[in-house]
Amino acid sequence: MSEQEDFEQRLSRLAGATDALRPSAGFSARVMLAIDAQAAPTFFETTWLSARRLLPVAAIAAAMAVVWAVQVDGAVDDTLAASYASVELE
Amino acid sequence: MDILEKAVDRVLGGDRSAFQQIVDLTSQKLVRLGARIMGNQADAEDVVQEAYVKAYRALTAGEFDRRSSTNTWLYRIVVNGAIDAKRSRTRRAEASDEQIDPGWDGAARAEARLALAELDDWLRALPADQRAALVLQSMEGLNNSEIAQVMGVSEGAVEQRLVRARATLRQKREQS
Repeated sequence: MSEQEDFEQRLSRLAGATDALRPSAGFSARVMLAIDAQAAPTFFETTWLSARRLLPVAAIAAAMAVVWAVQVDGAVDDTLAASYASVELE
Repeated sequence: MDILEKAVDRVLGGDRSAFQQIVDLTSQKLVRLGARIMGNQADAEDVVQEAYVKAYRALTAGEFDRRSSTNTWLYRIVVNGAIDAKRSRTRRAEASDEQIDPGWDGAARAEARLALAELDDWLRALPADQRAALVLQSMEGLNNSEIAQVMGVSEGAVEQRLVRARATLRQKREQS
């Protein structure tokens, strides 16, 4: 019997002897629990997702606030200019 | 299409419970493969559990392109996980008898544990990738092309790993 045959025979014997290996009891349930734990979003993820959905609304509100501020500023300037140019008569 | 591929279809369609079927259909051979590479069952179960979590995430994210069969894909995730774990993890204590499936025959269990310990002792001198290649060829019965697919390397690289693994084991034998 050659050395190479010894080598392959030993691998073959150990393959046969370990063929009966199987997962421990409850392995499948533990896997599904691990998957559920990974799938459930964390508090940070939930908050971030909610905040991301509100982002377009917040952007539109910010743009409208800028427009309103510019308009109000213009109206105040007109009022002040009118009051400087006027002459009070008594 | 076989049951496994149908279960994958159902998971892709949003049926989470179908993944349980994938686990039931594949866990025995994946844990056995993991144990042969890791050298003990407890570490193998950790590796396989992590592999299933990765697989589920990939399936639900649409990252499994089905260019390989589901079996080959799962083998690849387990082998990569086992190689990484083998390089970084220290050996964990074996699971206690209470955790073992009571349906499994005691004598067969004892024989399998002894054989696993012998295998681990024998292959300990090998780097993780060479050990994985040898296990896939000589114990799982895969050919070089299939091993290359599972390990994500060329057939030449597989051949090189196998030659080196055998040379290391032969050298170890001559020294003892």
